[in-house]
Amino acid sequence: MRRRLLLVPVLLLCAAMSALAAEPLEITLAPDGANPASPQMGEHLQFGSVIRNTGGVSLHGIVAWISMVRMDPGQEQPMDLEDWSAHKAVTRATLAPDGAITVNWPMRLIQAGDFRVVISAVTRDSQRIVTSPFLDFHVRPKPVVESSRILPVAFGMPLLIGGLLAFRMRGRILRR
Amino acid sequence: MNPILLIARKESRELLGSGRGLAWLLALSAVLSVLGLLFVSNTELSLLDNAQVVTMELGTITALGALLAVVLGSDAIAGERERATLIPLLLSPARRTDIVLGKMGNQLVGWLVMYLIGLPYLWAVGSSGQNLAQACAYLALFGTPLVLGFGFLAQGLSSRAAAVRSALVPSLLALILLGGPVMLGPSFRQSAIGSWLDRVNPFAAAINSFDSVVIDSQSLSAQLARLAIVLIWLAATAAFARSSATSMNV
Amino acid sequence: MDVDVDGLTLTLGGRPVLDGVSLHAQPGEIYGLLGPNGAGKSTTLSVITGLRRAASGQVSVVGHDPAREALALHREIGVLPERSGFYDWMDAPAYLAWFAQLYGRRLTGPEITAELAQVGLDGRNRRAIGTYSQGMRQRLGLARALLHRPRLLILDEPTNGLDPRGRREVHNLLLERSRQDGVGILLCTHLLDDVERLCTRIGILHQGRTVFEGALSELATASNEGESYRLHLRTEPPAVPLPPGVELLAWQGEWARIKLDGTRPPEDVWRGLLAARWPIAEIHQEAGGLETLYLRMTQKEEGPA
Repeated sequence: MRRRLLLVPVLLLCAAMSALAAEPLEITLAPDGANPASPQMGEHLQFGSVIRNTGGVSLHGIVAWISMVRMDPGQEQPMDLEDWSAHKAVTRATLAPDGAITVNWPMRLIQAGDFRVVISAVTRDSQRIVTSPFLDFHVRPKPVVESSRILPVAFGMPLLIGGLLAFRMRGRILRR
Repeated sequence: MNPILLIARKESRELLGSGRGLAWLLALSAVLSVLGLLFVSNTELSLLDNAQVVTMELGTITALGALLAVVLGSDAIAGERERATLIPLLLSPARRTDIVLGKMGNQLVGWLVMYLIGLPYLWAVGSSGQNLAQACAYLALFGTPLVLGFGFLAQGLSSRAAAVRSALVPSLLALILLGGPVMLGPSFRQSAIGSWLDRVNPFAAAINSFDSVVIDSQSLSAQLARLAIVLIWLAATAAFARSSATSMNV
Repeated sequence: MDVDVDGLTLTLGGRPVLDGVSLHAQPGEIYGLLGPNGAGKSTTLSVITGLRRAASGQVSVVGHDPAREALALHREIGVLPERSGFYDWMDAPAYLAWFAQLYGRRLTGPEITAELAQVGLDGRNRRAIGTYSQGMRQRLGLARALLHRPRLLILDEPTNGLDPRGRREVHNLLLERSRQDGVGILLCTHLLDDVERLCTRIGILHQGRTVFEGALSELATASNEGESYRLHLRTEPPAVPLPPGVELLAWQGEWARIKLDGTRPPEDVWRGLLAARWPIAEIHQEAGGLETLYLRMTQKEEGPA
């Protein structure tokens, strides 16, 4: 009886240790060796990840995705990767113990600024999200077309010529 | 007043003062506007740097100017014939050569108007970039002989054709054949045929000069060979248009 | 001669279009050029005006060879083609002013108004020519032909699209130009009424050849057919014999139907009857006349070989 009572705290301790232990997923994130040293707007970058099952049992329903935030002081915000990348997530039905998924994350640099990317992942049975280390990079700006100049001209010129045309047509109708 | 100037002035008034002429200018301006809006709204185009955008704009203005020249040229004589206004003109003291030269003068006015319409668009896309002044100058230097050449070609065909469409179709074909390869990718232009075409094609000469001056900041001396090609094109088509006066289809 | 054409031949597209055209118009006279469709009238006019060169033949128009002196010729003739277009976006005053400049004339506003008024157009009308009716366009074409005070007018169907009043106005204008200014007129028309009223000489073309040329009155003689007339008499005619060549066909109340044998011009017959105190109030030609004679003249040439 006493032996059974001693087992209870041990079992409780094991359960607590289990709960506190990291999810059996490990994610790495590193820049591709071919990335430009000082990337500029319009250029392409690539990141590589390895998602590994570090546990002793198979993992099921794995979803991993890339996220990015802007870090410029005063302009911190999460980024919508719609225009940046067409490859934003990867899934795997089952990952065996010690199995790994290697993923490349290509990206087109749409804006200039300081950015931070991270890879996140969950499994069907996981209790918490697993993330890779952060990776920071800077995108240099380049001179592009300014909408403040284009818009007045793009609308103004046809309006001007159209106005001349309407004036001409009106004069012709009045003379009739 | 000299009949050549009289005819050129009358034609220009029709281009700028009639509903038909203004409608054409409105349509061409709308195309430039759509392109300008794409530069700011389309992801791919908005990432182009200023110099690339300016050269694209130069190419577009030139192509649209050539299109207007082809339309004006095709209508120059055949249109008058279809509208029964050619005979009264031929029965006046104006010589056939005067009529042809007057029409050629109108081509120059048409291109000038297109150039002036294009300038605000060039400023809008290129004012924050490099070589805008050179862009405007080279548009005049290369665009003028190229565009006028297409107009004179169409006009020469118009003199010999029975109907406007008989002149318009081959003129448009010529525009597509000369302008098309320039729009194709670098892999074609680097092939044997492509590079040969690039060397003799006046359209390619103009576009390549725009690229070299605006993007690579090259000087005029590096463009002389290309300038010679467009000037030869202008001379040949002008001679064709002028010779058409004697073989004008009455 | 205003127009002197002999033995004109021309082939177009391998087909002989003119095969011996001759016409001779005196200075200041109104000459009618008739012929069925496809006879070669318009082609003849195009050679006369220098637009085309004949394969052979002699052509002289107001002293100029159209093939070699076209510009000089164009300064002295005014032409209204059958199908005459205008710059529809212009108004009539602007159009005339511009055309006058081609002839070296700078017209003032009142001059333009006068040029338009003579053909029945309003010089204050600033409507685009594209809105004009066919009759107005025809009048404008006539004004254009008269702009530079030509010595010779060449008119192809000048009364096309005009109402009867308009036709009469154009007739009066042409007669005035001919009589007062000595302008010669070469009139190409299908309307035999116009020919009868205006022309002193006519030429008839058929299948590219001149089949008749001469005074209008000669046409009746040449066709060897008389003409019938109805005379309205105010009172009973005197009891005197009819002149030679005149046959009384019937009496219908106050109307006498007579027939002329064509040996004398009708005008001479009327003068003779009036001198014999015939109380003639009206003279009407019965159906047939010039039209019948014209049809017979052109039909003759279509007879079996």
